[in-house]
Amino acid sequence: MKKHIIFWAVPLLLILMLTPFLWLLQMSFKPTPLILEFPPQLIFTPTLEHYVGLWKDGFPESFVNSLITSTASTALALLLGIPAAYALSRWSGRGKFGLGLGILLTRMAPPIAFTIPFFLAYRWLGLLDTRTGLILIYMTFNLPLVIWMMQPFFDAVPASLEEAALMDGAGFPTVFAEIVMPVASAGIAATAILCFLYAWNDFFFALILTRTDARTAPVAVVNFMNYEGWEWGKIAAGGSLVMAPVLAFSLLVRRYLVSGLTAGAVKG
Amino acid sequence: MASVSYESQRSRFARQAIAPSLLFLVLVAGLPTLFLIITSLTPGALVNPGSLTDFSDPFRNYTLLLSDERFTGSLWVQARLSLYTVTLQVLIGTLMALLVHAGQGRWQSLRHLFVIPMVLPPIVVAVIWKLIYTPDISPIYHAAKAMGIVLPSLTTHVDFALWAIVIADTWEWAPFTFLMVLASLQTLPTEYVEAARMDGADSLGVFWHIVLPYIAPVLLVCTLFRVIDSIKAFPLIFLLTGGGPGSVTEVTNYYAYLVAFNFGELGYSSAITVVLLSLTVLISWAAMRASRTTQSIE
Repeated sequence: MKKHIIFWAVPLLLILMLTPFLWLLQMSFKPTPLILEFPPQLIFTPTLEHYVGLWKDGFPESFVNSLITSTASTALALLLGIPAAYALSRWSGRGKFGLGLGILLTRMAPPIAFTIPFFLAYRWLGLLDTRTGLILIYMTFNLPLVIWMMQPFFDAVPASLEEAALMDGAGFPTVFAEIVMPVASAGIAATAILCFLYAWNDFFFALILTRTDARTAPVAVVNFMNYEGWEWGKIAAGGSLVMAPVLAFSLLVRRYLVSGLTAGAVKG
Repeated sequence: MASVSYESQRSRFARQAIAPSLLFLVLVAGLPTLFLIITSLTPGALVNPGSLTDFSDPFRNYTLLLSDERFTGSLWVQARLSLYTVTLQVLIGTLMALLVHAGQGRWQSLRHLFVIPMVLPPIVVAVIWKLIYTPDISPIYHAAKAMGIVLPSLTTHVDFALWAIVIADTWEWAPFTFLMVLASLQTLPTEYVEAARMDGADSLGVFWHIVLPYIAPVLLVCTLFRVIDSIKAFPLIFLLTGGGPGSVTEVTNYYAYLVAFNFGELGYSSAITVVLLSLTVLISWAAMRASRTTQSIE
């Protein structure tokens, strides 16, 4: 009897937990007249009208902005962070502790701490409401994330591999690019995905630093709530589109979710 | 001779590899922090450009903070929000992990689905709960009405607004504790449990004397991380209550946002943020120490 309870408790709990999320998803496919109906019809002919409506409402531009800013900040963070993580993994020089603390602090600081100075600086530099501005501020969390996430992967690359190549007269940059990087490529992929997700999920920075031109998808979804008589269908469709890449990617990196979230304090 | 050049080559490569990142971190994180502290010493307001460089009364903002009831109130709201959400998340997350661990085997592959709420974009989580809390559209309100019960609007009710946030936040973040505790449970050596069973311990005894001490360090790390992140809570409050009704759900982070970007008082908001940042640094330092201890135990 007790075994049965435990056996069925897991799927029941799961269904209970995922209901709010599935509710949003089904609503995005529901014809408008049915949305406000009660009892809700769970079986209906799905429609794409809300998605089509989004397409006509300038949502694609915001979606593209999200894609560009997330991808660019990921690429830049990897470019700068990977060599740094490798060097930190191989040579424990002075300042390693200090850098670790700095990385942790950028992870912990409330976003508003960066937003006020960035807002003032961008107003001065004319970077408000630009993708460049967003890409730069996303570096505040993505660069530390790369440096932190990549170190254990480089730790796992046997030093004997590099030493053999060095003996043969290859320089350090060559050894790094041609021997170490390929071995750590799985780690690089996981880190890249996490960086992308962090930037993609950002709401706060985009809310304050963009208006129209560089507006990202999360902010655009919220903007559908500003009218009289909210367009729930569009809100649900927009929300579903914003979460789609996240769901796909996070299944790929589920093993690394913990080390990404606790970057700075817990070894991955 | 060869080894000297090898060493110098090596350290040169290390410097070149670290320098760009270090420079960038100083540029995007170090300088802004300094700039924030400097701005907090001015009466800086957006409507008055000159005020951002006015250092005639540097501690004005901090003096004002002491008598600002909305600020002290926001700290209190923050403390309550953190206490409620973190307690609930750690408890529920741990229970979920124990349950899934106990029923392992058959549902092994389902466990990844439990983390969905946590990986969703925070603004989507807020939209989902907005759906649930808005009486016109929420299935819960419709169901209650059908049964003849009139539910108060949770997010605009003085007594329930904070709990509305707590529930949504717990839903979002209980999976974090779940994931961490489950990972820890899977490394628990079965010999420990078997030995205790041999000595005649029942399930509760095993949990209390074997399992709980084993997962305790992980619980501590979860708690600290969630406390720190709860200070950053924004999308839920922004979308569900807007800090209201009155200032019932106005946490310090949200107050700082309003002061800076609704009232345009950047100097004063910077001072609030500096206080908030100092608190975060203190807790982070504790988190780092705690997790170091954890690692050395392992």
